[in-house]
Amino acid sequence: MKENGQELDRIIREHSLYQCLECGKCSASCPRQLAGKEYSPRLLAHKLIAEREDEAFIESSVWECLTCGLCGERCPSGVNFSRLIMDMRVLLAGTKGLKGYRSHDGALHSWMRIMTSPDLQQERLGWVHAGIRVATYGPVAFFTGCAPYFDIFFAGINVDTLSIARDSVRLLNFLGITPVLLSNERCCGHDLLWTGDRENFETLCRLNYEEFKDAGIKEVVVSCPECFYILSEFMPEIIPTFDIKVTLLIELLEQEFRKGGMAFRPFKHKVTYQDPCRLGRVCGRYDPPRNLLSMIPEMKFREMENSGRSAICCGNNAFINCDSYSKRIQVQRLREARATDADMLITACPKCMIHLTCTMRDPLRRDSLAMEIKDLVSVLADQIEWTGK
Amino acid sequence: MNHVSLLGICCNWSPYACYNAAGMARLKMPPNFRLVRVMCIGRINQALILRAFEYGADGVILLECKDEDCRYGPGPEVGHQNVQRVRRLLRLLGIGQKRLVERSFATHEKEEFVRALWEFSELIQTMGPNPAKPRQELEVS
Repeated sequence: MKENGQELDRIIREHSLYQCLECGKCSASCPRQLAGKEYSPRLLAHKLIAEREDEAFIESSVWECLTCGLCGERCPSGVNFSRLIMDMRVLLAGTKGLKGYRSHDGALHSWMRIMTSPDLQQERLGWVHAGIRVATYGPVAFFTGCAPYFDIFFAGINVDTLSIARDSVRLLNFLGITPVLLSNERCCGHDLLWTGDRENFETLCRLNYEEFKDAGIKEVVVSCPECFYILSEFMPEIIPTFDIKVTLLIELLEQEFRKGGMAFRPFKHKVTYQDPCRLGRVCGRYDPPRNLLSMIPEMKFREMENSGRSAICCGNNAFINCDSYSKRIQVQRLREARATDADMLITACPKCMIHLTCTMRDPLRRDSLAMEIKDLVSVLADQIEWTGK
Repeated sequence: MNHVSLLGICCNWSPYACYNAAGMARLKMPPNFRLVRVMCIGRINQALILRAFEYGADGVILLECKDEDCRYGPGPEVGHQNVQRVRRLLRLLGIGQKRLVERSFATHEKEEFVRALWEFSELIQTMGPNPAKPRQELEVS
């Protein structure tokens, strides 16, 4: 690590790692370590500060982290471990190459990199049907994200991620908004950034910004927490002139709902909610999903044992390092969900949905884990109605 | 004439035997063609096909055994499935489904094999370079 000494110092200082008290709360709460993986955030912090010559350890640990942020949540010194890992990955990727075992052999990262091509002419709007109103030019856009791609790629496990996009547009139409859908919108680049590929990530951000500008966009509505995080926090950092308002769909909905005139139809289900890490711990949105769910009549909402700030990750992030330990985390999470006696698991992130659905299909544990899983947006779109009051 | 890069992914058994026999018979093969030999086309997954396009291929052809000839069992079926899915992804990306071709051969079909390569080469030549080539690559592993 000698050649990157200064850069490393900067990263450590920026994330106040020198304030580490060696209390070990990070390691004690790390889901990956609790699942039995030989990985310890506290030891990584120690090595980064005091034993930089142990490059092999540092390198393997940096790529192990789930970046779910649970350790940062508990850290008394407020070390943002997830961002530290991100910076470390960018640094290591630049000097030693991209590492980390990529799930699905990196197919998802491949198509994200293909999208950095400026001449790309995608055909991504095949899912738009006559039942929804969309525009090609206007002030408000809806950011679809990778949903059309996931829909094809994960067809084998029956995850309908496109329904999230359709239901989001339905909700916007319900609020009287005809959103612009960009035919050449790129991936937000979250997964590339979190696998250390900052160069391609920035290219994606710039291309997306150009697309927004060309379509006259003033506000982008986003339903995916990862896209929201990237668009609202990283894009202004990369594009100094960024002047587009980024709105989270569920926040917009909550705000409009409080103005009155609409209600939810009764929903006779017992449900529980999986906090996506990027929505909860990273963007601090614990309440909007719960507030919205509490407005639905006849629905029983039960929290899992670990929820809100302590919510456990869906087992994977940025599509790297999916292994038996990830599976263990997912199985534990689904057991918690089943223990609430709920008949439906509600998530707010397409990736939670993909990962947890994948685990439910485990041939050995199938019946003991399976439960209906639905995105929050889909539930809301199905139940909302005008009352005029 | 457009310069295009073509990639062939060739099963070690029937198609490679065809390739070998075609070489022995000195049949003319298309230029700017790279062939990767794999033990079975069932080894190739969606990611590897996509990666070829990510690295700048203008066309990819999977050369596989006839369904009933697979030495391992399900190889060509796996190939069909992957091709179907990747074609849908390529369509979304605007690369176009036609840039991914799948052909199967029996061991003695060397003329058919060479003809398939030429047809594929001409198809991609007329389509021109792949519009969606990423500008940079950052990959060491």
